[in-house]
Amino acid sequence: MAHRKKNRNVAIVGIGQTRYSSHREDVNQPEMIQEAVRLALKDAGISIADVDCVVHGNMELFEMIHQPDLWHMLGTGAYGKNAFRITTGGTTGTTIVAAGDNLVASGLYDVAMIIGFEKLQEGHTTGGITNMADPLWFRNLMTGALTGTTASATIKEFGEERAKRAAMMMRVIMDKHAGLNPNAHRSFGLDFGQIPDLMENSPKLVGELRLIHMCSQSDGACVLILADEEKAKKISRKPVWIRDHITVHREESFNVFGDEPVEMTHHFAARHLFERNRITKPLEYFDVFEMYDPSAWWGLDWLREFFLLEGDEHLKLVENKEIMIGGKIPLNPSGGVIASNPIGATALVRVAEAALQIRGDAGAHQIPKPVKHALASGFGGTIWTVLFILEKELTGWGERK
Amino acid sequence: MGKRVAICALAQIKNEPDIWYRRFQGMVFECVQAILKQTGVTFDLDKGIRNVVTCSDDVFDARTISDSALTDVVGAHYRGEEKVTQDGLNGLGYAMACILSGHDDLILLAGHCKESQSESRRMCTNLAFDPFYCRPLGLDFLNASALQARAYVTQSGLTEEHLARIVVRSRKNAVRNPYARENKVVTEKEVMNSPMLADPIRELHYYPVTDWAVAMLLCCEERAKEFTDKPVWITGFANCMDNYFLGDKDLTSNFALRKAAQKAFRMAGVKDPRKELGLVELNDAAAYQLPLWAEGIGLAEEGKGGRWIEAGGLEKYQVNLSGGMLNGNPMILGGLARAAEAILQLRGEAGERQVNGVRKALAHGTTGAAGQHHAVMILGK
Amino acid sequence: MSAYFGVKVEDIFATMPERFRPEGAEGISASYGYNIHGEGKWKLTVKDGKMKIGKADDLSGCATVTTTDGETFVGINLGKVDAMKAFSSGKFKVEGDFGALAKTAKMFRKYIPPQKEMSTREYILDMFATLEKRFQPKKAEGLDVTVGYDIGGEDGGKWTAVIRKGECLLKEGILGTPTVTLKVQSAADWVALMLGKIDALSLLSAGKAAITGEAPLALKLGEIFAPYVPPGEKAKEPEQELIVLRKTISVNQRFATGPVMGKFLNGLKEKKILANQCPQCKRLQLPPREVCAVCRVEATQWVEVGPKGHLAVNEIVYYASPDPLTGETRETPYGSIHVLLDGCKGNETFTHLLRPDQIFKVKETWQEEKGSRLRPVWAERRTGSIHDIKFFELDE
Repeated sequence: MAHRKKNRNVAIVGIGQTRYSSHREDVNQPEMIQEAVRLALKDAGISIADVDCVVHGNMELFEMIHQPDLWHMLGTGAYGKNAFRITTGGTTGTTIVAAGDNLVASGLYDVAMIIGFEKLQEGHTTGGITNMADPLWFRNLMTGALTGTTASATIKEFGEERAKRAAMMMRVIMDKHAGLNPNAHRSFGLDFGQIPDLMENSPKLVGELRLIHMCSQSDGACVLILADEEKAKKISRKPVWIRDHITVHREESFNVFGDEPVEMTHHFAARHLFERNRITKPLEYFDVFEMYDPSAWWGLDWLREFFLLEGDEHLKLVENKEIMIGGKIPLNPSGGVIASNPIGATALVRVAEAALQIRGDAGAHQIPKPVKHALASGFGGTIWTVLFILEKELTGWGERK
Repeated sequence: MGKRVAICALAQIKNEPDIWYRRFQGMVFECVQAILKQTGVTFDLDKGIRNVVTCSDDVFDARTISDSALTDVVGAHYRGEEKVTQDGLNGLGYAMACILSGHDDLILLAGHCKESQSESRRMCTNLAFDPFYCRPLGLDFLNASALQARAYVTQSGLTEEHLARIVVRSRKNAVRNPYARENKVVTEKEVMNSPMLADPIRELHYYPVTDWAVAMLLCCEERAKEFTDKPVWITGFANCMDNYFLGDKDLTSNFALRKAAQKAFRMAGVKDPRKELGLVELNDAAAYQLPLWAEGIGLAEEGKGGRWIEAGGLEKYQVNLSGGMLNGNPMILGGLARAAEAILQLRGEAGERQVNGVRKALAHGTTGAAGQHHAVMILGK
Repeated sequence: MSAYFGVKVEDIFATMPERFRPEGAEGISASYGYNIHGEGKWKLTVKDGKMKIGKADDLSGCATVTTTDGETFVGINLGKVDAMKAFSSGKFKVEGDFGALAKTAKMFRKYIPPQKEMSTREYILDMFATLEKRFQPKKAEGLDVTVGYDIGGEDGGKWTAVIRKGECLLKEGILGTPTVTLKVQSAADWVALMLGKIDALSLLSAGKAAITGEAPLALKLGEIFAPYVPPGEKAKEPEQELIVLRKTISVNQRFATGPVMGKFLNGLKEKKILANQCPQCKRLQLPPREVCAVCRVEATQWVEVGPKGHLAVNEIVYYASPDPLTGETRETPYGSIHVLLDGCKGNETFTHLLRPDQIFKVKETWQEEKGSRLRPVWAERRTGSIHDIKFFELDE
C-alpha cells in the first residue's frame, strides 16, 4: 500500500480519564465529560483557550440524544471553536484520534481535543447494539454483540481443554491487570487457581462464550489533546508521537460462517500498517499492546491476527504469561475492554493507555521496561479494525536491532 | 499551506419528498457508481480510494451505526470509512483535512438521509435537546427557529412580504434545477396565507420533508488531473460551535457564523466577500434565515436584513440559485447541497442557473437548533 | 438453619409474601425453583398477579432453577455479596430461561433485616457507656460538679459523673454527695426518657423520679450531654436527592425494502429462497445486497437456492438480547444457525433459527463431514418477512 509523507508530525500532549464505573448518577452527561476535559487540560498544562478544535465521538442511539455534541458543548468547552463529531460504532474512540491526527497534520488546526464518552446506564446497551442490525431481517434473529463462533473455532483447532484453559488464562491475566488500574471499572480479584472452576461454572452466554469472558458495560469519559510538532514540543516534556494509523472495515453481512478461510480485518490492517512502516517483526518491535478485546476468546484469537503469528504461538504467549505486565509483550496493562467498556470512549482509552505507558505515567500498571513503541487497536461495527502506532521519539522508527 | 484539495466529481440523485421505493443503500449506490463512471477511479490499494467519509444520521435512519449498512455500497470493504454526523459540509471539510494531512490521496464522500422514514421529523429533532429541561418543554428545531425568527424579524424589520418574496424566489429558482425537489410554484399571497407552524414561521416558510443522497470525490492537488479536467478547489473551510441553551445566546448575533466565515475567508484570502464571491449558497431551513445568514457572512449589514432583501441583495450576490435548503434538502445534507450547487456553477455545468464567469463561491451548512453550529466553505476554480 | 450476616435463608423466603409487588408480576405466569445447598429447596409460583412460596422437593417444571449456597444467597439479597461476581464465577447458577429470572427482581421489595430490639439492660449499659463521649465541654465551661445517677430496678445501676476542668469522668456507684442526684425508680423509665419516649416532667409528677441537690444543674444536663442515639442509627444528614428521569422514546418508522430486499422477501412469501449473484466473482449473497462488496459492482443476477441445506454453524444462545422494537426476549436457550443451502458454497451461508427442541441434536459441518441436513419450516401465513420461515429443522 503506497503511503505519502505525513504533512507534519502530531503528538499526544494531554490525557484525561474519569474512573470507569457502572453508574455515574451524580453527574449528567456534559458534567461527566467536563471531568475528563479538565483532567486532560491539567495534564497538558494548557487552558481551553489554547484548543482550536474539538472532536467528539458518540453514537446517538445509546443514550438517545440526537446530535449529542450540541448539548455536550456545555462540558466539552467547544464554544466558539471548530467542532466535529465523527462516529463509527465501537471503533469511534480510535476513529476520533485518527480524525484528530488528520485534522492537526493537515495544518488546519494546531491543537485538537479528542473526546470520547459513554453513559451506558442511561440507555439500553444491548438494545442499542441489536438495533444495529438490518431492520428488515437481521434484527429479528440477532444475538446482540455475542457470538461463540471464535470459541468453537479455537476449540476445533487446539482441542477443548487447551483452548478453554488459554481463554480463561487470558481472562485472569486481564483481571490482574485491571486490579492495578485505579480507573478500571471491574476487577474481581481472580486467581489462576480458579481457572478450572471458572471454566466449568461460569454461566454460558452463547456456545462456549461465558459470562466471565465478556466485557463490561461502563460509564466514563476519556479525553486526549493532540498538537502539531512545534506546539507539542513547547507544551509537553513527554509528547507521544502518532506515527501512523489504518482503518479497515468489512461489509455488513459477515460472510465468514462457512468453510472458506477469510482474512480478518485485524490481520489485513496489521499486515498493511506494518508493511508500509517497514516493521517486519511486530512481536519484537512493540513494547506494549493495548488491544480492544471485547471478550477473552477474541483477545486470545486476535493476538495471532495482530502480530501475524502462526500455529499456536499466540496460545503459548498466554500460557507462558508473556502477555503479563512483566512479560515479553504486555497486553492491556490497563485491564483492557473486559475490565472497562464505555463504548464511545473505549477505543480512545486504548490509545490513552498506550500513551501513558510510553510516558512512564501509568502508575501501578506501568510496564517495568522502557516503552518506546506502542500498538493500540479499536474494534467495532461489523468487524471493523483501527490500528495505531505510537512512538516515544521522532527518530529511530523502524526495526529494533 | 500551499497544497490544495480538489473536488473532482459530483453525483447526486434528485431530492424527493418520499423515496419509499428504495432503501438508502440503493440511493447511495447510484451516486457512487456515477462517480466511478465519471472519473474511472478504482479502489486499488496503491492508486485508488482507501478511505471513505460518509455523512448520515442514526436517528433519521433509526438504526445504530447505520453506515455499517453502506460499507459495501461505498466500496469500503477492507478499506477505511469514517462517518461525520453533523451537516455534510463538515464531512467535506474533514475529507479535505484527510488529504492535506498526507494520510490519503483520495477521499470518496457519500451522504444520505431519508427524512420521510420516521413519522415525525420534529420528534427526531426534539431528541437533540437535553432530556431534563429543553426536551420535556417540547423544544425542537422548528420552534427553536421560531424563537430566533421572532427576535430577528423584530430587529431587522423583516416583513411578511419579504419572507414571501424569499419563498417565491426559492421555488422559481428550483424549477431551473433538475435535482431540486419538485414543489409547487407559489405566489406571494399564498405564502402569506399559508398556515402558521410556529409563529412567525408559516408552513411555506419552512423547508419540506426531503430524501436525498449525494457523493463526491476529493483528490490531492498532484493527482487531480487523473480524474477530471475541471477540478474545483477548496480554498477555505471552518466551522464554529455556539452555545447550547437558547437563552445563553444572542439569537440574532450570528456569533458562530461570523467566526466560521471569518476564518474561512482568511484561509481563502478573501478580503471583501461582497466583491469577491461570485456565488453564495446559504443553508436556509427557514425563510428568515436567508437574510440572517447573509448578515453573518457580511453580505448584508447587521440588523438590516429586511432592507437588504428589498434592495435586491439576493439577486445582486447570486444567492441560492439552487433554490436553497428552503426548497427542500434533508437537514443533515443541507450544506452538501449548497456545495453541490457551487461545484456545478464553478464547473460551468449549472444549465439554466449558470452564472457566467463565476470563479469563487461560498457554501454554508448548519447543524443544530437555530444555527448552533455553522460551517463555511470557500470553493474556487 | 444457619444465619449469614445475621439473617437466615428461610427469612428471605418467609418474607416474600409481604415484600411482593403485584405490579412487577403483571402478565407473568411461571414458577421459579431455588436450590440452596444445605438449606433446602423452595418453589416460587407467580400467576395472575399473585404469588405462592413454599418448600418443595420437586423443582421440575420451573422456568428457572437457581442453585447456590446459603451465604451467597443471603449475601446477594442483603447487597453484601456482589451479584455479578458471584454469577460470573459460577457461585450462583441459573438453569433455564435467564430472562425470566431477571424479571423476578421487580416482583419483590428489597429484604431489610428487622432492627434488633435491645433489652432495657442493654440500653442502660449502652447509655452510660456512651456518656463520656456525649459530654460537650463547651457547654460545661467553668463547671466543677458531680452528677449522681440512681437507677432502680433489676436492670438499673448507680453511677456518678465527675465534671471538672472541661472533662467528664464516669465512675461506678454514688460518690459522696453529688451536686445533684437523679433518682429513677425503674430502669425502663430511664430508657424511655433517654429515647425521648417520655418527658422528665411526667416522671417527676408521677413520683417515678426525683431530683435531690442543685435542681438547676439537672436542667442543664440536656445541654451538657449530646442526645443519646441508639447503635445502628446514623445521625441523619440531609442528602441531596438525585433525580433520575425515566423515559421510553418511541418514534414510528416506515422502512423501505427497495427492489433488492423486496424481491427476496416476496420470494419468501412463495416459499422460495433467492440469492443474488455477483456477475464478476459469481459469489452468492444471502440475503441479497445491491452490490458485491469484494468486486464493487452491482449484483444483478438472481439464483434460487435451497430450500434445504447443511448446517455450517450452530450457536446455542443462553442469554437473549431484547428486541429493540418490542422489548421482548426470545426464550432461551435457542439456536442461531448458519446454513449452507443447496447451490451455495464456501461462506455463502444463510442465517436463521433452529427448531428449539433440536438445538442439541444437530451437528455442525466441522463435526460431521457435511453438517446435519436441514429443511425450512414455513409459516402458514406468509407476509414477506424473514419470519415466513419459522425455523429450520432436521430433514429426517
